[in-house]
Amino acid sequence: MNEPVVLVVGAGLAGFSAAAEIAGAGLRVLVVEQAAAPGGAIHRQPLPGIAYPVASAVHRRRWTQVTASVRAQGDRIEIRYGCRFAGLDHEGTALLTGARNALVRPRALVIATGAAERVRPRPGWTLPNVMTAGALQIRTKTLGKAPDGRILLGGSGPLLLAAGAELVKGGNPPVAIIEAGRPFRHVIGSLGLPLPYLREAAGYMATLLRARVPVLTGTEIVRIEKRSGALTLHVESSSGGRTFDGDLIGLHDGIRASDHYAAASSIPVMRAGDCREALGARAALADGRAAGAALVAELTGTVPASAKDSSRIERERRAQRRLARIFGHDGSARLAALPADTVICRCENRTVGDLRALGPVPTDRDLRLHGRFAMGACQGRFCTEWVRALTDPSHAGSPLGAVRLPAHPIAIADLLDAGGIADNPSTGE
Amino acid sequence: MSLPMDYDVVIAGAGVIGASTAFHLARRGMRVAVIDATGPAAAASGASDGAVSVASKKPGVMARLATASLLYTRSLAQTGGPLHGIYSARPGYFFATDPAEELALDSLISKLSGLGGPVTVTADGNGNIGLAGLGPTVRRLVTLTGEGHMLGFEAVRAYLSAANIETIWPDRLMRWEADDAGITVETSKGHLRAGKMVAALGVSSAALFPDLPVLPRAGQLIVTDRAPGQPLPGALTAASYLIAKTAERRALPNPPVVIDPLVTGQFLIGSSREDHGDPSRVDFPTMRKLVARAVEVWPALGARQIIRTFAGIRAAVIDGMPIVGAVPQTPRLILATGFEGDGICLSAVMGREIAAMVAGEPVTDGLAADISALTPRRFEIGEARSA
Ligand SMILES: Cc1cc2nc3c(=O)[nH]c(=O)nc-3n(C[C@H](O)[C@H](O)[C@H](O)COP(=O)(O)OP(=O)(O)OC[C@H]3O[C@@H](n4cnc5c(N)ncnc54)[C@H](O)[C@@H]3O)c2cc1C
Ligand SMILES: Cc1cc2nc3c(=O)[nH]c(=O)nc-3n(C[C@H](O)[C@H](O)[C@H](O)COP(=O)(O)OP(=O)(O)OC[C@H]3O[C@@H](n4cnc5c(N)ncnc54)[C@H](O)[C@@H]3O)c2cc1C
Repeated sequence: MNEPVVLVVGAGLAGFSAAAEIAGAGLRVLVVEQAAAPGGAIHRQPLPGIAYPVASAVHRRRWTQVTASVRAQGDRIEIRYGCRFAGLDHEGTALLTGARNALVRPRALVIATGAAERVRPRPGWTLPNVMTAGALQIRTKTLGKAPDGRILLGGSGPLLLAAGAELVKGGNPPVAIIEAGRPFRHVIGSLGLPLPYLREAAGYMATLLRARVPVLTGTEIVRIEKRSGALTLHVESSSGGRTFDGDLIGLHDGIRASDHYAAASSIPVMRAGDCREALGARAALADGRAAGAALVAELTGTVPASAKDSSRIERERRAQRRLARIFGHDGSARLAALPADTVICRCENRTVGDLRALGPVPTDRDLRLHGRFAMGACQGRFCTEWVRALTDPSHAGSPLGAVRLPAHPIAIADLLDAGGIADNPSTGE
Repeated sequence: MSLPMDYDVVIAGAGVIGASTAFHLARRGMRVAVIDATGPAAAASGASDGAVSVASKKPGVMARLATASLLYTRSLAQTGGPLHGIYSARPGYFFATDPAEELALDSLISKLSGLGGPVTVTADGNGNIGLAGLGPTVRRLVTLTGEGHMLGFEAVRAYLSAANIETIWPDRLMRWEADDAGITVETSKGHLRAGKMVAALGVSSAALFPDLPVLPRAGQLIVTDRAPGQPLPGALTAASYLIAKTAERRALPNPPVVIDPLVTGQFLIGSSREDHGDPSRVDFPTMRKLVARAVEVWPALGARQIIRTFAGIRAAVIDGMPIVGAVPQTPRLILATGFEGDGICLSAVMGREIAAMVAGEPVTDGLAADISALTPRRFEIGEARSA
């Protein structure tokens, strides 16, 4: 069996549902996942030998169903963990690094790599022990318990409540949750949300209330300082300023689609799930299935089935828009008022002042070549949104220069170890 | 017809050649506008390495022009000059791992001694001479002094920051019409009226002058993360690069790799030579071939990561020489293109000499024959086409 495989990147909801769909049509699939376990952002499974105390019954049921659909395909689906996809070149060659380095020529590619978490720059956001709320969640899920120390969560978005509730279940409730929006003011708007959203939110709130976790709304994080070994969080609301001390801070300002894999290639490429459009878990499941079906249709020259998935995705899109309104708040004034020494690009350590020094309307080339924005290890994945907001909001969402290979830094040793090109990385042929 | 003159000279193309020309014209007191379809250093000049090197040039015209440009670049890099802090002197290292490359090093040495400076050989021997850290397959290493380095996009910015230069972008040159009094330049934004025009469009020249034998030659470049210490004081270049640049095009025994230590502590590793003009074409197998040789000769690279790759497009001319001079049918229009892999190096001298041509003055003493060897008259150029 040396025929080229369909390569699926990401073992989250979208990747797994796409893989099951494609294998269901008789094609061979290789799923690669950089983590040691499947599940993606929401269903991340604990490391072997660790009990998983945080998943709700609903979540467990969904994940069980998805994994069953993958298992049902038998050896038509191979899953490789600890394996990272570094991009696809224009000739259709993909580089996989990790446990087994390889250059492969798949017959098609599905990118299901999930959303990126947004973190708005604030003074002190790059200090040690300041991370994303999502990273804290993943840590809690993989280790089966919350990290030690006083934890603070802040920024904006429903994920803060979910992360807080998981920390409670993981045995270490956060000191406080700082939310810039005022979600509880939008009672009427909230009633328009689909029932599962309300049920999920009510569950998180109940957990937080029981653990007496204060949730401050309409409150902005102004800056973070390091003081005698601990972190101090300065916050501000209409009623004035105050501070919190903590050991770990999880920041979060929402999630967004994230596509940083070079596009033009000689093979069919599909995107599925949050990496294409950040619409949450239910949509990711449907989107993976739809992408899988569309790919099968393209590869076999048939017509894709049912439109069920697209109406599901449309429903989730409406719900996410509503959620965004409920949590809405204006952070742009805060961004514009940042002190000059606030870091914007943490890869190359470039500041707001460096950005202003490029003049009022820098070109993308200026931003890259002279400003060094988007020239570091992450290629602007995290700073571009803020650079655009500060220089040219009319180009919000457009990348800062072309997407370059590799998609993330690769060890030269891994590339050399990858050997010649194989159609099928399992047989090496 | 007497339209008002907006500028003395309009320069189309804000690459390193257009920028240097603008600087030299402005220094003569002329009113200059530089337009670019995208922005400064948008093409080859923003996607290249920056060797200011005589060693790599074909003997004859190119080596002599590079020598003149190196000397002049050094003087522009003095305190107060436009390239101060942009150009820096560095030793150069050329290595051989096989007999063909060793022969190329012999030719290099005789070429340099024939030129009689300013580039001299300070060491020549097996790999242990002069540079610790070389891989065991290096049979011979030649160390040079006198050459240097500048990044194209930094040079562009430095040249264009001179007084009296107006920069306009994005603005694309579409067509032009010359008359007795001047030239009317039609661009995507409107019209400009000038006494003369310089077209320094790099590989895009072929779009406006279809008969010009300018061909795209792509090169992939690799950027690494920062190394903790930087024990490589200058670029380490394969002798096969000399073969690639001086001999007729043929299969090379080894990839013509150049390992360039950047001031950031990163390495720039180049480069391939491919017959196409698509800067989005970067591929893993080529990347792998280049780093394989780079690690073989500089093993410390084996611990580095690749953070980014990109491709630049060189403008190659069929006979291996740039095209510089007035267009026969339209003397108010001066062409400057075809600098292939040498434009950063030649930019200083070419800008100065093109400015002299525009001003109707003779070129610098001693360069007349070499500059006239670049004339577009050596090719049949028909009517220009609009973009
Ligand atoms: C930090 C975070 C927390 C979230 N928390 C919640 C929540 O509490 N409740 C909720 O309803 N929704 C939550 N969401 C949204 C929800 O997780 C997503 O909608 C859903 O998981 C999307 O599924 P997906 O398959 O598209 O992506 P993911 O579930 O993110 O899966 C993507 C997978 O791809 C892998 N991957 C990425 N890049 C590579 C690569 N180059 N090579 C190999 N593998 C790669 C990742 O490791 C990951 O396992 C969260 C999202 C994020 C980003
Ligand atoms: C991989 C690589 C490595 C290299 N290494 C070196 C080196 O080490 N040393 C060295 O000396 N040289 C090197 N070079 C060569 C050097 O980069 C080029 O020779 C030089 O940059 C050419 O400059 P230019 O101004 O002629 O053209 P370009 O820099 O290509 O500029 C042309 C400009 O014209 C603009 N333009 C195009 N069409 C129009 C239009 N219709 N209207 C208006 N504007 C237009 C473009 O946007 C562009 O900005 C290298 C090149 C590559 C690709």
